[in-house]
Amino acid sequence: MAPSKQSVRQSITLKGSTELVTEFFKYAVNTILFQRGVYPADDFHMVKKYGQTVLITQDLALENYLEKILKQVGAWLLTGAVTQLVVAIITKDSRTPLERWVFDINLVEQPSQEAVKQAQSSKPEAEIQAEIRSILKQIVSTVTFLPVIDEPTVFNILVYTHESANVPAGEWVDTDPLAIEASKSQQVKLRNFSTDVHRIEAMVSYRYEGDS
Amino acid sequence: MSLRKVPAGRPQPQPSSRFATTAKRDSLAAELERDPQLSTAKRQQRTHALNTTLSQAALERKLAAAETNRVQLETRLRERDAAIERLEADRRWLAEREQEEREEKERVSKEREDEKTKADQDVRSLRSELSALKEDYADLQDKLDALSHTTSQKLAAQAAELTSRERQVDSLSAELRASHDAAAAHSAEALRLQSALDAQATAQADLSRHDAEEASWSVLRGELTRQAEHTRQLEVAHTRAMAELGSLRERHTAIEVLREQNRALERRAAGADELRETVVRLEAEVQAARAEREAWATRAAAPETLAATPVSITQSLSALRLEHAHLLQEHGADRMALRQREAELADVRAREVDARATADTLLQETRAAEDRATRAERGAALAEREIGFLQALNASYASEEAAQGTGHVDQAKEQHVRELEALVDEYKVRTRALETEIQELAKRPAFNQGTGLQALRDDLTNEKHALQEARRALQEKEEEAERDREKIEELEQTLFDLRGEIGAGRHVPPGVRVLSLCENPAQNWTDLRQAALDRLKSENAALLQRLSALDRHVPTNPNPDANGEEQLVPRASWAAVCEEKAQLEAELKQRDKRMLRLRQVFAGKTAEFREALSAILGVKLAFYDNGQVRVTSQYDLGAAFVFQPAPRDESGGGARMQLVAQGEGGPQELPQLMRNWVEIEQSIPCFLASVTLECYDKWKREQQMGGGVTE
Repeated sequence: MAPSKQSVRQSITLKGSTELVTEFFKYAVNTILFQRGVYPADDFHMVKKYGQTVLITQDLALENYLEKILKQVGAWLLTGAVTQLVVAIITKDSRTPLERWVFDINLVEQPSQEAVKQAQSSKPEAEIQAEIRSILKQIVSTVTFLPVIDEPTVFNILVYTHESANVPAGEWVDTDPLAIEASKSQQVKLRNFSTDVHRIEAMVSYRYEGDS
Repeated sequence: MSLRKVPAGRPQPQPSSRFATTAKRDSLAAELERDPQLSTAKRQQRTHALNTTLSQAALERKLAAAETNRVQLETRLRERDAAIERLEADRRWLAEREQEEREEKERVSKEREDEKTKADQDVRSLRSELSALKEDYADLQDKLDALSHTTSQKLAAQAAELTSRERQVDSLSAELRASHDAAAAHSAEALRLQSALDAQATAQADLSRHDAEEASWSVLRGELTRQAEHTRQLEVAHTRAMAELGSLRERHTAIEVLREQNRALERRAAGADELRETVVRLEAEVQAARAEREAWATRAAAPETLAATPVSITQSLSALRLEHAHLLQEHGADRMALRQREAELADVRAREVDARATADTLLQETRAAEDRATRAERGAALAEREIGFLQALNASYASEEAAQGTGHVDQAKEQHVRELEALVDEYKVRTRALETEIQELAKRPAFNQGTGLQALRDDLTNEKHALQEARRALQEKEEEAERDREKIEELEQTLFDLRGEIGAGRHVPPGVRVLSLCENPAQNWTDLRQAALDRLKSENAALLQRLSALDRHVPTNPNPDANGEEQLVPRASWAAVCEEKAQLEAELKQRDKRMLRLRQVFAGKTAEFREALSAILGVKLAFYDNGQVRVTSQYDLGAAFVFQPAPRDESGGGARMQLVAQGEGGPQELPQLMRNWVEIEQSIPCFLASVTLECYDKWKREQQMGGGVTE
C-alpha cells in the first residue's frame, strides 16, 4: 500500500508544481510583452496576483495563443520533457532577434530519492510566491538597462524539449532558435524560484551594439 | 397575623351586653308593677330591646359567618402557605439540582481540561519521541553509511589482497612448474646414470669374470682417479674462472661507466677541439696581426713618436695587470680571512650555546641552594621559637615553684627537668630527622625537576615542530583552497558564459528540440507580409508581362485605341485597387453617417438649449458665425441688442460681452438704463433684466389697452 500512496502524493505534488510554473509563465510573458512594448499598453488591464498588481492582455488572439502554449507546456512539464522556455522578441521588418527571455526549467529531485524527499520539509507557498514576485519585479526593472526598442516588434515563444517528447503533430514545428550573434549579445541573469519539484532560472540575453 | 387579631377582639362585648339586657328587664318588670302608666314606654323599651336582641342575633350570625369565613380564609391561607412551602421546596430542590448540574458540568469540564492537557502532554511527548526517533534514524543512517563505507573499503582491501594472492599463486605455480621441470631433468639424469651404472655393472661382471682384465682395471682405475682429479681441478679452475668472471663483469661495468665518461669527455674534447681550433685561428690571427704590426712598425720606424706611445701603453697595461693580479691575491686573502672569521663565529656561537646551557644549570643550582637556605632558616627560626617556648615553660615552672612551698618541690622539679630534657632530646632527634628528610626531598625534586624539565623541553620542541608542520600544512591547504576558489570562480565564469551561449540561442544542447506553435504571432506577421508581397509580386509580374506584350504590339499596331489603353492596368492591381476603393468608400460612408448623426444631435441640443434660455430669461438669442450674439426681448421685438465678445487681453477673464448695437424699439428709459447699468455698473445681466422688466410692463399695458379698445 505504501508505495502506491507515495506515488499518488508525488504525482499531486508534481501537478501542483506544474500549475504554479505554468501560471508563472503566463504572468511573466504578459509582463514582458507589456514592459517591452510588443503590444500597445491599452491592450493590458490590471489584475491582482501574487500580492501585487500585474498586467494581463485583453487581446483575444494573444490570450488564445498563450493558453494553447501553456496547456501544452503544462503537459510537457508533467512528463519532464521540457527544459527551457524562451520568449524571443524580434523586429518586424528584418526579423532580427533583439531579446531572448530564457526560463530554464530544472527538475529539483529525481523520483528515486524518496527518502531524501520525505526528510525534506516542503517549501511554503508564501515563500514561492515571494520568489515569483521578485522575479516579476526584476523583469519590470530590466527596462532600466535594456536597450530602448524603437522599431515595431513581434514575439515568438520557443520551447526546448527532449527528443523523446510527445509532440502533437501539425500544431508544433521545429524552428530556428532565433539566436543573437555572439559579438552583439549580452546577458543578465535574473533571480530564480523553486517549488519542491521544479526550479526555474530566469535570464535575459539581448542584442547590444555599443553606445551608438 | 393582623387578620387574626381583629376577629378575636370582637366577641368580647357580647356577654356584657347580654348581661345588661337581663338586668334591664328585671328593673323594668319592677317598674311595671310599680308604675303601670309607664307601660307604653316599657313596651317601647321592650320592642327596642327586642330589636336590639334581633340586631344582636343578626350581628352574631354575621359574626359567625365572618368567623367561618375567617376559618375558611385561614385554611385557604394555610393551603396557600403549604403550596408556597411546597413550591419553595420544589424551588430549593430545583436549585439544588441546578447546582448539582452546574457542579457536574464543572466537574466534566475540569475532566475535559485535564484530559486535554494530558492529551497535549501526550502529543508533546510523542512529538519529542518522534524527533528523538528521527534523530536516531539519522544516526542509524550515518552508522549505516559508515558501515557501508568500511565494508566497501574492506572489500577493496580484500580484492587487492586477493589479486596479490593470485599473483603469488601464479608465481608459485611458475616455480612449481620450474621445479617439476627440474625434477624431470633430475629423473632423466638419474635414468641416464642408472643405465650407465647398468652398463658398468655388466662391464664389471665381465671384468670379474675376466681377472685378466684386472690389470687393465687398475689402469682404468688409475685413469679414473686421474680423470677425477682432473675434473676436480677443472671444477676449481671453473669456480676461479667464475669468480674472475664476476670481477671482470664488475670491471666491465666500471669500464662501461668509464667509457661513458670517456665518451662524454670526448664530446667535451670535441668541443675543446673546436675551441682549440678557434684558439689556433685566433693565434694565427694574432700572429698575423703581430706581423702586420711589426710590418707597420718597421714601415713606421722613422717617426719615433708613434713607436713611443705603444710602449708606454704596454707598460701601463702590464702595470695594470700586475695590479690586477695583486688585487686578486688580496681578494683571495680576504676571502680566506672571512672564512676564518665565519668559522670562528660558528665556534663562538656553539660556545655561547654551551655557556647558556651551563648558565641554565647554574641558575637551577642556585635556585636549589636558595631553597635549601630558606628551609634551613625556617628550621632555625623554628628552633628559636622552641627555645623561647621552653624558656617560658621554665619560667612558669620557676614561678610555680616560687608560689608553692620549697619542701618536696625539689624532687618534683628534678623530675620535671628530666622529663623536659628527654623531651628536648626527642625534639632534637625529630628535628634532625625532619631536616634530613627535607634535604632528601630537596635533592629529589631537583633531580626530578631536571629530568622532568628536560622531558618537558623535549615535548615543547616536539610540539613546536608539530605546530610548525601543522601551520605549514594549513598554509598549504589555504593555498590549495585559494587555488580551488579561483578555479571555482573561473568555472562559474565559464558556466555563465556557456549559459549565455545557450540563452542567446547560439548553442542548442544535443538531444533537444526547439519547438514553436505553427500559428505564432511572428509567423502570422510574416505570413501577412508574405501575402502582401506575393500580391505585389503578382501585380508586378502582370505589369511586366503587359509591358512586354505592349512592346511586341506597338510596332505592329501603332495607333492605340481606347480598348488598349484600358488594358494597360493589369487585372490583379485593378482588383486590388477596386477592393481598396470599396473599403475606403465603405469607411467614408460610415463616417458620413456618423457625422450626420452628430450634427442632428447637435442641432437638436442647441435648439433645446436656446428654448430653455428664452423661457427662463425672457430673451431670444441668435448666435452669429463671427461670435456676435443678438439678444431680442420676448416682450418687445424692437428691443434688440447685439453683443460681441470683448478681446481677451483687455479683460483677462472669460467671455465678457460688449454691447455693440441696439435695435430701434425698446423702452423709453433705455438711454438711462444703458448709462446706469452698462457704463457705470458695467453689468450686462442687470441691464438685460431691467430692460426685460420695462418691456414686460409696456407689453402688459399694451395688452390691457388693446383689450379695452377691442371691447
